[in-house]
Amino acid sequence: MTFMPERAAFSVQPAARGALLREIALLAAGLLLLALVIRVHWMADFAVFFILVLSFDLLYGYMGHLSFGHMLYFGAGAYGAALWLVYGNASAWAALAVGLAAAAGMAALLGGVVLRTRGASFALINMAFNEIGHFLVQSPLAAYTLGEDGLSCTADPLFGAISLYEDRWAFAFCGAVLLAVYALLRLLTRSPFGLLVRSIRENESRVRFLGYDTFRFKWIAFVIASTIAALAGGLFTLVQGFVSPRVISPFGNVDVIFAVLIGGAGSLAGALIGAAAFLAIKNFLPVIIPELSRLLDVKLPQWELWLGVVLLLIVFSLRGGIVGTVQARLRNRKPAGEAQ
Amino acid sequence: MLEVARLEAGYGSARVLHDVSLTVAPGEMVFVVGRNGAGKTTLLRTIAGLLPSAAGEIRFEGRSVAGLAPEKRARLGFRYVNQEKRVFSPLSVRSNIELAAHGAGEPFDSAWRRAVALYPKLDEFRELPAGRLSGGQREILLIARALAGQPRLLLIDEPTEGLAAIVIEDIFRILERMRQSVAAIIVEQNLAIVRRLADRIYVMKEGRVVHEIADPRKIAGAEPLECFL
Repeated sequence: MTFMPERAAFSVQPAARGALLREIALLAAGLLLLALVIRVHWMADFAVFFILVLSFDLLYGYMGHLSFGHMLYFGAGAYGAALWLVYGNASAWAALAVGLAAAAGMAALLGGVVLRTRGASFALINMAFNEIGHFLVQSPLAAYTLGEDGLSCTADPLFGAISLYEDRWAFAFCGAVLLAVYALLRLLTRSPFGLLVRSIRENESRVRFLGYDTFRFKWIAFVIASTIAALAGGLFTLVQGFVSPRVISPFGNVDVIFAVLIGGAGSLAGALIGAAAFLAIKNFLPVIIPELSRLLDVKLPQWELWLGVVLLLIVFSLRGGIVGTVQARLRNRKPAGEAQ
Repeated sequence: MLEVARLEAGYGSARVLHDVSLTVAPGEMVFVVGRNGAGKTTLLRTIAGLLPSAAGEIRFEGRSVAGLAPEKRARLGFRYVNQEKRVFSPLSVRSNIELAAHGAGEPFDSAWRRAVALYPKLDEFRELPAGRLSGGQREILLIARALAGQPRLLLIDEPTEGLAAIVIEDIFRILERMRQSVAAIIVEQNLAIVRRLADRIYVMKEGRVVHEIADPRKIAGAEPLECFL
């Protein structure tokens, strides 16, 4: 017996389609608003981070598998694209495709190993692979990646006219990809496949006893999450024109995990809100703390310390993340219409 | 249909089941009774494939299922309803049934109709997160979920444990409706229910089957079932 969802279950119903379009419109409006508040040249980076955090939310928030090695796939996408641009040709599309294929292949292979483990072992074995990837680009493959110096690359304009080195085009392109990724994940997480993935998070053995080969579905979700992370990595390369071992560093996982925890794991809106909140804190604290220090005429500790403190406060005070906490409060306000 | 012969199983090196043998015929409702710690849940979990057997044989329709993963046993028609009444809490009642129906290859609509026929109130709670159901309603949802597809053998662990009398009556009616249509092994402490529904009873003590009562109706009234415990 295989997992054969009914066609109707996968088709987008009119009401669901309307809700999806509203969410996409809201997200697009949010991005434009953000672009007005902060500088446009940050927006492509923000969109790339949003995509990365969404991909991680599928793995951790929906499937319940905390990985400390997700940056491996972001890095694979980034380096795959950069290496193609340097040693292949200057096609941005081909570079993206190479990055995605490299990461998807890697995830398909490594997924067969890491998904045999769970909990802390899963988190750490992923970190170990991430560390191996980081080491490979730094040293053994330095002849191609130029090690610590990093790799500069240039892509031709998209459709011969859209240069991703112009801030507004970079934002438009990355924003469009973000909307597409959101729509894809929204459909995926609401489909029977999404139900299954969420149920695996709840209790894998119970899902197995419903007749599902849970390993196969975990593997598919892992490959999808990793490939979307690679898409973010590929976009990073296209808009930055430069990659260094920093893009594949395991330390980057901390940012992604914090973003999901702040927003609320297991919700696409939560992932986006968490990513925005994290980037706001991370980008504005270095400005605010020295200003505050000057105003108060007191030597305050470095902003990184405050970043840690603020993140800890948020994570501990909002256990379900921003979205989870708001949802819980709204639920508690409703009159008890529960099952009697 | 199911033959368990000289089964030994446990947790790690701790052996819980010793030399357990039992049989279940098609459509038969078999109850396993015994005091706490007798090994009843371990027996169900071993038959379901959630625990490995250390020795002995489990044969289903003439074929050995020892070593088969739980999902493969589920595909043969085994369904396990756990004692903890754990549904997929964040998912709606509908999604819980939907998930089971897809896994069993049955269209959702027919699985849902059967579930509602079993317990019409499920329709009211259709979109409610299953975690917000009461204990009894969760148990009913679990049984409805287990009936998705074409189950051949239900393994139900303490369906009435911790439930109010009125809900126990609902569960009783549901089990009564299932009689003859699907074989079941039910672990149960409520002897009133056992007496009314059992086609066969196995009494367990300290990991062993100490009595087999092949025709429970004969003992009703004459010899209280409690004397076997």
